[in-house]
Amino acid sequence: MQPLEVVFYLKTPLALGSPWIMFDSLLEYVKLREALGEKFFSLPSRAPLKKLDESLEIPLKKWRDIYIASASIFEPSDAGMYVFSYFKRGDFPFPSGRVRRGSGFFKDFYLKVVYTPVQRVRFYATGEPEEVRRLVSKVSSIGKERNIGFGFVKEVEVREVGYEWGLVRGGEAMRPIPVRYLKYYEDAAYMPYKPPYWSGESELCAVPFTRVELLE
Amino acid sequence: MNDREWLEKWREYFLAWYDEGRVGEKAEEAAEFSKKYLDGGVVSVSGGKDSMVMLHIVVSGCRRDVPVFHWDHGPALMPREVENEITHNILAVAPSAKIIIKKYSLGNSEKAREDWRPWYREFFSTLRSLGYRHHLLGIRAEESSRREARGRVVRRKHWTEAHPIYHFTWRDVWAYIFKHNIPVPSTYYKYAKLLGWDKVRLVTFFDKEFEKYGTPQLDGVLMWRWRYEFHRA
Repeated sequence: MQPLEVVFYLKTPLALGSPWIMFDSLLEYVKLREALGEKFFSLPSRAPLKKLDESLEIPLKKWRDIYIASASIFEPSDAGMYVFSYFKRGDFPFPSGRVRRGSGFFKDFYLKVVYTPVQRVRFYATGEPEEVRRLVSKVSSIGKERNIGFGFVKEVEVREVGYEWGLVRGGEAMRPIPVRYLKYYEDAAYMPYKPPYWSGESELCAVPFTRVELLE
Repeated sequence: MNDREWLEKWREYFLAWYDEGRVGEKAEEAAEFSKKYLDGGVVSVSGGKDSMVMLHIVVSGCRRDVPVFHWDHGPALMPREVENEITHNILAVAPSAKIIIKKYSLGNSEKAREDWRPWYREFFSTLRSLGYRHHLLGIRAEESSRREARGRVVRRKHWTEAHPIYHFTWRDVWAYIFKHNIPVPSTYYKYAKLLGWDKVRLVTFFDKEFEKYGTPQLDGVLMWRWRYEFHRA
């Protein structure tokens, strides 16, 4: 396992559903797609995914039960946030005949997408370089609303580096870390700290990019 | 432009609009209209901008000791910080009012975000149990064609619904807020900066009911700190 720096160069602005993208969740997503193939897109619910997600091995080092993988760092950092509003008709072909668009399965959605016109998304992690390279090469887009062109990846770079910044960098948490693993924390909030992040499980964690001190 | 400069610029704009848009006259008319419904009536206040303006108009132009009803959605839908701000704001605007606060029984659980039907059932049965003949609501015609179609007065089965600020526009509302220094939850300013003053609304947070408007996605970015905060309970 090697400390790594992973940089995604983007072609299009990045849409967000939360302030950060977690690197371990990106890798887990690719592994899940590989494990399920086309079935990934036709599961009856997300419930079975959680079990499978938890059983997947991703090529990252762990500290306690946390992957050493940082939250996203957006560059330039002052790109700002904007809202893109649009109507979304669903991602499926409309059948012929009369369709109710006001309610039900084909209901139109009026979405507000928060996006940031960043050029690069940087992560730090500790893992197996070759396997991480293989997995990230399969990531063609990141963030939310990828189906309408947000977050397209132009190029991804994985570099082996001499510093391990996936967990803490210069006294700052680089990802959510449960406060029970900390001697000191500057700021904390309830949030998930391991994949699958969408599962709704949360714990009181140090907020990424705030000051912390790990327990030995 | 930093946040303070941004807010100051808009304050100037809205204060200018207060005179140009004759918002004071509109407020006087709204107060006159409200008087007819205060006997046996209650002012329903969500804590949002429209209901706070209505409350201020009623309290300053009609009666100080008016009954005020506020519905607490619970921590899953309304972060406690925002809820505390709301109750504090209501008390600041209407210190002599008789305030009735009822709390949603499922408001502590994830279920409240997933299924809004129990909310509607409980909310309307609570309104009925209060026994008031008139409910004053801060609904405006401009908000949607459906609200416009409801009219200024709606006769319901068990009560009459009256909308004093029905003719106010979003500019009028913000002008009134800035002119009279009416406190509104600080989340408004956060959302207004991204969405615009005309589109910003106070609705329950992370609520699937508003998924079709993209609101939970905005909440995920702007209110991330409160997404799981109710797990603390």
